[in-house]
Amino acid sequence: MHAYESDFREPLINGDKNYTIITDELVRPTEKTYRGWWLLLIIFGTLAGFFVFCLCWTVFYGIGVWGLNKTVDWAWDITNFVWWIGIGHAGTLISAILLLFRQRFRTGINRAAEAMTIFAVICAGMFPVFHMGRVWDAFFIFPYPNTRGPLWLNFNSPLLWDVFAISTYFTVSLLFWYSGLMPDFATIRDRAKGKYRKMIYNTLSFGWTGTAKQWQRFESLSLILAGLSTPLVLSVHTIVSFDFATSVIPGWHTTIFPPYFVAGAIFSGFAMVETLMLIVRKVFHLEDYITINHIESMNKIIVLTGSIVGIAYITELFIAWYSGFLYEQFAFYNRALGKYWWAYTMMMSCNVLSPQLYWFKPFRRNLYITFILSIFVNIGMWFERFVIIVTSLADDYLPSSWAYFQPTWVDVGIFVGSIGLFMTLFLLFARFFPVIAIAEVKAIFRISSATAKAERAKAAGTANGGFVGHTTFGILDKDAK
Amino acid sequence: MEDKVYWKGLEELENTSKQNDKEFADELPVLGSIMEPITTQGSTSRRDFLKMLGFSTTAAVIAAGCEMPVRKSIPYAFKPEEVIPGIANYYASAFYQGGDYCAVVVKTREGRPIKIDGNNLSSVTKGGTSARVQASVLSLYDGARFKNPMKGKENITWEAADKEIGEKLKSISDAKGKIVIFSSSIASPSTLAAIAEFKSAYGAEHLVSDAISYSGILDANEKTFGTRAIPSYHFDKAKVIVGVGCDFLGTWVSPIEFAADWSKNRKVSKENRKMSRHIQIESALTMTGASADKRILVKPSEEATAVVDLYKAVSGGSSGNAKIDAVAKELVANKGASLVVSGSNDANVQMVVNAINEALESYGSTISFTSTYNTKAGSDKASAQLLDGLSSGEIKAVIFYNANPLLTDRNADKLADAIKKAALSVSFSERLDETTEAVQYVCPDSNWLESWNDVSPKTGVYNVCQPTITKLFDTRQAQETLLKWSGSKENYYDFIRAHWEKNVYPKQSKYSGFNALWDVTVHDGEVVIEGGSEAKFSASGVDSAASAVSAAYSNLGDTQLKLYESVAMGNGYWTDNPFLQELPDPITKVTWGNYVIVPISWRKKNKVTNDLELKDYTLVKVTANGKSVTLPAVAVPGVADGTFAICLGYGRKATNNDELKVGQNAYPLLALLGDNLSYVSKATVEVLSQTEKVAITQSHHNITLKDLGGVKKRKVVKETTLPEYVKDDAAGNEDRKEILEEMVTLYYEHEKNGHHWNMSVDLNSCIGCGACVTACNVENNVPVVGKDQVIRSREMHWLRIDRYFTYSEMIQDGTETLPGENIDVVFQPLMCQHCDNAPCENVCPVAATNHSSEGLNQMAYNRCIGTRYCANNCPYKVRRFNWYDYQGADAFDGKRVSKFWANEGLLSQTTKNQQESLSRMVLNPDVTVRSRGVIEKCSFCVQRIQEGKLTAKKENRPLKDGDIVTACQTACPTNAIIFGDKNDKASQVIIKVMDKRAFGVIEEIHTMPNVTYLTKVRNREESKA
Repeated sequence: MHAYESDFREPLINGDKNYTIITDELVRPTEKTYRGWWLLLIIFGTLAGFFVFCLCWTVFYGIGVWGLNKTVDWAWDITNFVWWIGIGHAGTLISAILLLFRQRFRTGINRAAEAMTIFAVICAGMFPVFHMGRVWDAFFIFPYPNTRGPLWLNFNSPLLWDVFAISTYFTVSLLFWYSGLMPDFATIRDRAKGKYRKMIYNTLSFGWTGTAKQWQRFESLSLILAGLSTPLVLSVHTIVSFDFATSVIPGWHTTIFPPYFVAGAIFSGFAMVETLMLIVRKVFHLEDYITINHIESMNKIIVLTGSIVGIAYITELFIAWYSGFLYEQFAFYNRALGKYWWAYTMMMSCNVLSPQLYWFKPFRRNLYITFILSIFVNIGMWFERFVIIVTSLADDYLPSSWAYFQPTWVDVGIFVGSIGLFMTLFLLFARFFPVIAIAEVKAIFRISSATAKAERAKAAGTANGGFVGHTTFGILDKDAK
Repeated sequence: MEDKVYWKGLEELENTSKQNDKEFADELPVLGSIMEPITTQGSTSRRDFLKMLGFSTTAAVIAAGCEMPVRKSIPYAFKPEEVIPGIANYYASAFYQGGDYCAVVVKTREGRPIKIDGNNLSSVTKGGTSARVQASVLSLYDGARFKNPMKGKENITWEAADKEIGEKLKSISDAKGKIVIFSSSIASPSTLAAIAEFKSAYGAEHLVSDAISYSGILDANEKTFGTRAIPSYHFDKAKVIVGVGCDFLGTWVSPIEFAADWSKNRKVSKENRKMSRHIQIESALTMTGASADKRILVKPSEEATAVVDLYKAVSGGSSGNAKIDAVAKELVANKGASLVVSGSNDANVQMVVNAINEALESYGSTISFTSTYNTKAGSDKASAQLLDGLSSGEIKAVIFYNANPLLTDRNADKLADAIKKAALSVSFSERLDETTEAVQYVCPDSNWLESWNDVSPKTGVYNVCQPTITKLFDTRQAQETLLKWSGSKENYYDFIRAHWEKNVYPKQSKYSGFNALWDVTVHDGEVVIEGGSEAKFSASGVDSAASAVSAAYSNLGDTQLKLYESVAMGNGYWTDNPFLQELPDPITKVTWGNYVIVPISWRKKNKVTNDLELKDYTLVKVTANGKSVTLPAVAVPGVADGTFAICLGYGRKATNNDELKVGQNAYPLLALLGDNLSYVSKATVEVLSQTEKVAITQSHHNITLKDLGGVKKRKVVKETTLPEYVKDDAAGNEDRKEILEEMVTLYYEHEKNGHHWNMSVDLNSCIGCGACVTACNVENNVPVVGKDQVIRSREMHWLRIDRYFTYSEMIQDGTETLPGENIDVVFQPLMCQHCDNAPCENVCPVAATNHSSEGLNQMAYNRCIGTRYCANNCPYKVRRFNWYDYQGADAFDGKRVSKFWANEGLLSQTTKNQQESLSRMVLNPDVTVRSRGVIEKCSFCVQRIQEGKLTAKKENRPLKDGDIVTACQTACPTNAIIFGDKNDKASQVIIKVMDKRAFGVIEEIHTMPNVTYLTKVRNREESKA
């Protein structure tokens, strides 16, 4: 991995570091409880509790406690599902595709992104299960051997494809995430003071000792999993989009959905990574490892995917007009100007307009703007799914059946509660697991850290008669003193 | 060891037997794949053996570990004759409730009446029913019925009641005090005879008053024909029909009969390209007006003056009103085949109507006095007599029978005080109502389904009502009570027979021996005795009546109130029935409560909220005759400016279920004009700032979309005009050819070799009455969900009637184009379309909804996990989800959960009442009661299909067309719905399906629906005789 990297590239690890310092700084969050962590845990833990309460309420009384009606049979439930699945996309993208493309900036963010993926998929998985009228019969969707004769699953149903797509995605993501964690667990174990702490982390690391053979297998496993999960990045949201694309409902029945959904998923996934990383960076003082450079790289992806999504929205409108199909035309007319115009406006402004700021470098590198926009993007993406699902259903073919959906407190509680669950899991992860992949960061230390670059520059400077390529990293000055 | 072959017959050995001899046609694919090694090769590998052993052991252990519920069933120790468990019995009977008459056949299962169908042998209602008839079976199992006689709030025994009341009656009659029976019209000859016995025993008086009054037309007929009766109307004989403010298809006199007759001349076909012309002159849009070919909008007061204008025009003069003159021209051109009816309760108006019909030579052709209605005999003077008599203390004792004047009288408040003065007040009411609450004694009548009775709806037509269930409670038939108090020892059954033997039997000559007549009547439900003579018209008084009308209605101002009877609720009698409360009004589609119908122009001017999404409607206060009501304003197209209409019957005060107290009572707003009640009066309307949620099931959306640039029309309903249809029988449906040609698919089509069930709905015959909706509810155990759930758009109806308005661009009526007036309405009954290429089927992950080999889209409730994807993907939106456990069918202990519900208020009281064992007696045992969390929808009455097939199989014959009729089909008074086998080339349905008028709703999306509709044809041609 000691490939050459131009000194003109910004380093991915700032500050004067060596391997000991990196270990210290990255393991420290698992060894002490930071201020603010408890506060956040209480807030989000309560919300997670409320999530459980709302689900119990739903199962006990029936789906009737939601705001659905005879015409709009899916609303916040599937909106939340698609939203969370979308958020879960960035993890795999970062760990798999960026790994294959050898994008080193992934090392600072991949661990948290993968964890986010796992938790987002857990949250997402709640909705297809609990939106069922008879959740106690949820096992019917698995192809288990039974004595019911010809009664079998319907492999034509996109919902069934979802089951396989999501469970595969979850399994592979979990493996990827966990296998990456093993060397780092061993690092924590090696520093651990208490007997039980040592024991637990040893167990978690599966007895990792760091032999060359283990590293070699580890690298192979990473590559295999990366290879396996790369198609998954594209397939999961493609299949989720089939839930809509294969139906007959105008506004759902659209061939553009797979690429549009995948782009949207990456878009929202990166935004969520940013939201989380900006907090983690601040709370755990990891500014040197999650640098402005990382943020900027992610913002570039956001402006790209945001623009893809924007083009998809406009293409949909064009195709609706071009199709000459009355129902399609009405669906999009209604989507933009009908009774849910406000949702469409939210979607357009948050998803298409706001990321355009990132064409300008100062905005890309501004933490406050990044934080606000990352939240905007996720609000926008939630509304995108709401717009697709609810406005299409509310006014479809027969005007006699048109209806209006209004959420109840249970709908809101489940959505907000799922954010609570997600954040609770993430907070627990951040407290007990290393939020930055220690081993991987160390792997780029010699290539892409400010320290290494400064050292190389110093060496080069001596050779080139004192010319120093870059002096902005502050390390040379420090060395000069 | 060699494999030996064993066989049990030559067919097997020679392998000649066909696969369809097997009970299950399909191979079991799952077992097939596992068992393949065994069945095909006769050997099993050790691995397979172990796999199967492991699985079956585990499965057995799991199954044995689960506690199985203990289900108890009690066999008949002594099986009643006729009752075979699982087989339905049918009994002919007659329904006469709340002023409505219908000849019916009652379906019972294991001794319980569960469904009421029309009696096809009836000469009056001809097998048709109404929503009220269909829903009435639910009232039998109403927990709110009285369980025993009451004295005040105390329960007493019949002995005590008889003794106390008998003594009081005796002492009153001894003291020459006046005793009064106050009732609505009684159409039962034997009941009248029983009342006569009572009258003679105590010198009592019988006052008859109908809540929805026909006193005006009765008085008019008395003046002009000398007989106080309503004649028979023959809408089938009329080529031109003019209804003036008269909802004869929905509520007026005998709507089921009129709808059946009216529809006969509305059925067009390739061979018969003729239809009657129906012109409706009215203020508010009625169901009848919605089906008319032409509507003339007038203010409520002008409904009366229009009659006078029409009279002038018909008599050869000119009314000065071009529209009325045009109508008159059409009428005169069809002399002898035209008919004018008016819904007015003003005797003067009705006299003029009689004069018009006389001038048109309708009497003897389209109207006939040979048979007159016994169902409407009330006089508006009766209620005044009662009030005066009670107030003055002249009436000492009053018995209320089938009457609830404390709800329906305009002076109910005064009457309530007056009743307290009576020494004895008794009600025979079955359940608590306003009047019953105010009386001293309640002697509850038995339900009509528990009783012997007779009904003579029209003179010469006699029906016998027979009991179909033992009395559920300690009730006693009112007639029997009266007989008992009169000192008779006879039971009512013997009394009826005796009465018939004396009064009916001698009038006929067909049957020799009374028992022959009686048995046939009980079996067929009806005997008709010809006879009766036409009455002679006397014109004296018509001119003065005409001028009286002109004078009385000239100054009612620009804001007028029109009170009307709703199609579902009747006079208020049916407000206790949840099915009818939840039946959407044909025009407004509002359930659970009344409202003020306002013109659209008025709504725009006053900026009144009509929120289509949130169902918020601004409250308005309507004041008339010194009384006022505050109700939400619902704007309806096709309502004349200045017309504000409120339906009667709502605003109950005394019922056991608070949810039935919806709406406001508008009876106090009635005016008195001369001797009769007037349903039209001057009013003031005040807009309030509050809004109220209205449980409306369909808002006013338009199927034409002007917003998208030009008018584009959804292919939901299709219509044409008669001249167009005469030219081309595919008129209005021209695009179907192209749609069918474009219907190509890459996939192979499933063969339908056996039956292929199809349904055809004639949009031209459908009048939107809702009988089919209620019949479907009763047949298929469809739950009532209550007002709150309807507001949340969660009504469960499997069959709904979509109502669309269309505007003037569709109308080509001569030179006339009158915006706002030319509202056309289309009713479209919409049930599951049983698409051969059903979008719902391929999206269900567990294949809970699938296609039968007979073309049915079927639901396996057990398999459904409730993802609701099918409902989303249904373009017709006919699938319904069980949001809650509406009928106590849940896997969980319903009662325990319900207790929580009571606290949470998630389920309405009405819905919870359905979970009581008593209410559950009405459930059809052939139809699964759906649990919470599953999707349900129209099954094409698959239980009836199965029953029909089984019967044919038992009788060893092929299934005949007409063996299977769906519930909606039997209920329909106009025969708009035809069901049958498309593969049966002689079936009725194939004729309809092949008709050029047939089309499928939005079939261009390739759903291949098995329900087709026939284009609506409007008779826009000016009829020339």
